[in-house]
Amino acid sequence: MSSETSGVGVGADDAEMKRGPLGRWVDKAIKNPDRVYRAMFYVATVFFLVTTLFPFYWLLVLALTPNRLITNMGLLPKGFQPEVFITMFERVPFHLFMFNSFVLGITTTVIVLLIASLAGYVFGRLRFPGKGILMLGILAISYFPPAAFLIPLFELFTGNTALSIGAVTISSPDLFNTPAPMVLPFSALFLPLSIFILTTFYGQIPDGLEDAARVEGTTRLGALFRVIVPLSAPGVATAGVLTFIAVYNEFFFSFLMNNGEASSWAPIVAGILKYQGQFDTPFNLMAAASIVGVLPVAVLVIIAQERIVSGLTAGALKE
Amino acid sequence: MGDVKLEHVSKHYDDVTAVDDMNLEINDGEFICLVGPSGCGKSTTMEMIAGLTIPSEGKVFIGDREVTNLPPKDRGVAMVFQNIALFPHMDVYDNISFGLRLRNYDKEEIDRRVERASEIVQLGGMLERMPDEMSGGQRQRVAIARAIVRNPGVFLMDEPLANLDAKLRVHMRTELQRLHKELDTTIVYVTHDQAEAMTMSDRIAVIDSGQLQQIDPPLVCYNEPANLFVAGFIGSPSMNFLDGEITENGFVSTNIDVEFDPADVGIETGRDVTMGIRPEDVYLVQNERQVANPTHRIEATTDVLEPMGDEIFVYLKLAEEAHADLEEASVAANDQLLMSVSPDSDIEEDRDVEVVLDRTRVHLFDTETGIALSHGIESTITASGPADAEAESDD
Repeated sequence: MSSETSGVGVGADDAEMKRGPLGRWVDKAIKNPDRVYRAMFYVATVFFLVTTLFPFYWLLVLALTPNRLITNMGLLPKGFQPEVFITMFERVPFHLFMFNSFVLGITTTVIVLLIASLAGYVFGRLRFPGKGILMLGILAISYFPPAAFLIPLFELFTGNTALSIGAVTISSPDLFNTPAPMVLPFSALFLPLSIFILTTFYGQIPDGLEDAARVEGTTRLGALFRVIVPLSAPGVATAGVLTFIAVYNEFFFSFLMNNGEASSWAPIVAGILKYQGQFDTPFNLMAAASIVGVLPVAVLVIIAQERIVSGLTAGALKE
Repeated sequence: MGDVKLEHVSKHYDDVTAVDDMNLEINDGEFICLVGPSGCGKSTTMEMIAGLTIPSEGKVFIGDREVTNLPPKDRGVAMVFQNIALFPHMDVYDNISFGLRLRNYDKEEIDRRVERASEIVQLGGMLERMPDEMSGGQRQRVAIARAIVRNPGVFLMDEPLANLDAKLRVHMRTELQRLHKELDTTIVYVTHDQAEAMTMSDRIAVIDSGQLQQIDPPLVCYNEPANLFVAGFIGSPSMNFLDGEITENGFVSTNIDVEFDPADVGIETGRDVTMGIRPEDVYLVQNERQVANPTHRIEATTDVLEPMGDEIFVYLKLAEEAHADLEEASVAANDQLLMSVSPDSDIEEDRDVEVVLDRTRVHLFDTETGIALSHGIESTITASGPADAEAESDD
């Protein structure tokens, strides 16, 4: 290093004088590309942080500002009203809406993981004719817009569909205001992603391990849940967390498959909208509710972060 | 209870036949090796015994039960895998006790059995380690402990030593033999390494192209191979083969003749045969006295020497014998002969030498079918070895 700087000598000073600041910067960047990479990293990180974290900050600003002052907002709260986080629970039973969201999310996640595990096992570890086409079909269906299913599913789940077999007519059950019309479409919609993730993971578990488990005394299913699933923990965690978050954030079915009451299994979305009255819109309460609603997921992601990252980036499993 | 029987077992994959009409009887307590080149169907055979693969045709029996369609867990077998296949998320204790826990043994019984199994394979004090904290040999021992802890009727070992380094492999080989002596359980052992098969087993089953070629004790496979494949596969380096023909003077080829009366060995004249001779049964002329019943001298030139320490392998280029009457078809394959000599032999590369063959150790095979016609020229076909032949020629 020292020889390099000393070797530049007097001539380098001359050259530096002739160039402008940009020219010098380019010169340095070429000599030391690491600086540029680091600079680019900071720029990208700051951009990312601003775009993702600013909304949270903005929510906080809105929440702390008394509602009547929320006009022409700047970057700072106009006032300080932390009791809004208590008022929000008084005005609307927001904890019940959160509980509903949790139940819906966990139920869906369990169903999705169970079914996707079976499907992932079959797709990842068995050979059978038509496997590629079937997998392609599943992936294709996962790209259908959920809105396309909405009306038929609404008709189905509100008991307006009947099936006639000869003299017998079977009417679909009225599931409106129960968890079922949300959990069922969620499970179906989020299954393909989980199947895809678990297929890659289960496919990487060496055959020998499954064979060993089977010789030792498990069935294929036993080998799946005793050996393959534990070894694919990062993949299962990834699929689980992604499904949970997706359900927790879901708006469409959550909004339309119930009457918006906490007792009808309406999730967080309905809770936030519930603050809106006929004559006023308490933005501060809604903002506070949004923050409270996000917190559990943020905590979950922080806890599971390591797993998710390793799950998304690699099938990091050695034999 | 530990005898295994395969009856007309075949396994087809799409248009490939992995195992073709295999009949195999393995006795209780026997150590049997399935050997063959890779892709010959030996692993498939073992998987069908284990139940990991269901045969397309035929029946599998373990003990006196037919198990053809039973899942692996109900067959009373234990298996050691080539890639060891320890469960990486469990410690040694949990790995060994996996099968027992699945069968709901009580805690004390599990502890007792795990302790005994880990003693047998010398794993004391390592029960709390994770597999990735252990060496290859230790892992292999855990895998063996996992297999023996259930007292299975049959052990299946699928190239268990293939992933170990050479030194450890030899060490584990003797440990496996000791284990077999101690447990006295049937062991079916798959390997492509004929040296492993020779040293460990009671009987060797040589398999090629999905078919059983020969099943016999190691030395019988070595001394009296049933066909060309077995002769070439068993023994390292491989047996020399020379294609030729039977005439009234005996065996005639472009390079080597061996005189005998074809009537003595019961082969009609005019038949195309392949002569086989192992490298250690080729002698330099100066050592001719060591051979009770040598052939006439054969001229050759030394080509490449491979000193192994305890012996030297010498590649000989054979001079052509003058046989105008012989067809030229098989000339190319016939001009080389591998000989092994003791390391103190006076031998150099590119020198003219004369060698003799031990007539009692000459094998004759039908060239077309590969079936052995005679082992040892002076003896009749049914006689079994050099002992008889020497007695005969000792007049």
